[in-house]
Amino acid sequence: MSGAAERSTETDLIRAAQRGDAGAFDELVRAHDHQVLRMAYNLLHSEEDARDIYQEAFLRVYRNLPKFRFDSSFSTWLYRIVANLCLDHLRKRKVRQEEPSTFDAESGQVDRLQFVAEERADVDPQRRFQSAEVHSRIQEVLGELTPRERVVFEMRHYQGMRLKAIGQALAVTEEAAKNCLFRATQKMRAALGDFK
Amino acid sequence: MNCREVQTSLSLYLYGELDFAREETVESHLAQCAACQLSLAREKEWHTLTNAQVHEPPLDLLAECRQQLRPALARESAAQARTVRGWWRWGNPFDISFTRWSGKVALASLLVFIGFAAARWLDRGLLPGPLTLNPSNAVIRDIQTDRSGLVRIVFEQERAVTGQIQDADVRSLLLSGLHQADAGVRFYSVQLLNRETDAGRMAEVRQALLDTVRNDPNPAVRLEAVDGLGRFSADPAALETLKFVLEHDENPGVRYRAIDALAPPDRALTITPVVTRTIQDVLLSSPDNDYVHARCSQILEQAKLPVVY
Repeated sequence: MSGAAERSTETDLIRAAQRGDAGAFDELVRAHDHQVLRMAYNLLHSEEDARDIYQEAFLRVYRNLPKFRFDSSFSTWLYRIVANLCLDHLRKRKVRQEEPSTFDAESGQVDRLQFVAEERADVDPQRRFQSAEVHSRIQEVLGELTPRERVVFEMRHYQGMRLKAIGQALAVTEEAAKNCLFRATQKMRAALGDFK
Repeated sequence: MNCREVQTSLSLYLYGELDFAREETVESHLAQCAACQLSLAREKEWHTLTNAQVHEPPLDLLAECRQQLRPALARESAAQARTVRGWWRWGNPFDISFTRWSGKVALASLLVFIGFAAARWLDRGLLPGPLTLNPSNAVIRDIQTDRSGLVRIVFEQERAVTGQIQDADVRSLLLSGLHQADAGVRFYSVQLLNRETDAGRMAEVRQALLDTVRNDPNPAVRLEAVDGLGRFSADPAALETLKFVLEHDENPGVRYRAIDALAPPDRALTITPVVTRTIQDVLLSSPDNDYVHARCSQILEQAKLPVVY
């Protein structure tokens, strides 16, 4: 199906759903829900949290669909909802459980990211290839990103969204999204650049 | 542009997010700078490492989310309706009440009118008649089950069939479900067909499982179908298909399940000569350090049969 035909089908579906057609709403959900769940699951690493985000996102879509005026694409609007929900979740999680990114040592304040890099240099080279270690290192570094950097990185790196679309979804300029991605990739490079 | 500027632009370069002029400058610099080429190679490495870390949600989770969304939407819809009723009361300046006699007369008239109108529409065939099922054209959206064994299959514009797995309509739709684009629908179709116990319908189910094991692109669906084929392991076509899986399926999980389907580890080992030959063939074709190879040897040793190398 061509892009234009797809868009017109989606527009028809949205209009039908706005008129109260439950089948059309269901089709809209089916067209996007896998991506929504994938993003939430990949960001939050928890089935329960991903399930909550999925339900809350589509309930918000259901509530607000009558007010949707096609100013942006449906997927941008949906991603805005999902991204904001995930951001809230990550922020709450940071406050609730996570350690600060710096900690006090005898020599003063130490950045945990720096500590990770030093620790890595001592590891037996053969063990570097073990996927479990790589996995935990990546998760650790992803955990070091701020919620906003994490969401932007997720949308660009894993969801393949363009920075322009990410900016629209997060209601920021493309330049701001680019800066955020830049910071995230700098941190990733600093921690993973030496892996082979 | 110096090396430092190029190196800080490499991620955005790999994402294709640099503007045309900047991308050109980075590329010309890279063409003549070995240090920056090395940095690019490192940049690609961590991108690749990170790519492999994507967490795909389990197949069951999507189905579960869809199932839980329905009642949540129904509650939301009911809440919205209550709000509308609230507005109706607020916006009803004439205070029309269906509890007073005039209101009751109006309500009765309305019901009589609806009855007449519906009868006329039915005469003209404008209201849908009883469901006539054509599984070959059905587009299956979802399959659900409950603990009592009831199956609900949603297909074509919210039309649904509810019944036992043995019901002809349910079974036809499950068979049709094996050909749907949605891997979740195919997965649940196989899972439910595996519960079929009616001997008269086994041939149809067996054929559907054979096709799924050989042709379905999704390993979770193939794995479920291999499980189902275990019931038919005495059948030559099923044996041939399980052998095909052991030799050709690219997914190790599916291959492991195939060997377990041939000789279940929790069951006393009684191997027919045909299964023995199949296992010996697989043993010859599988790599030495493979789980399948080890299990084949183990099965033959347990059954005190010759392990051919």
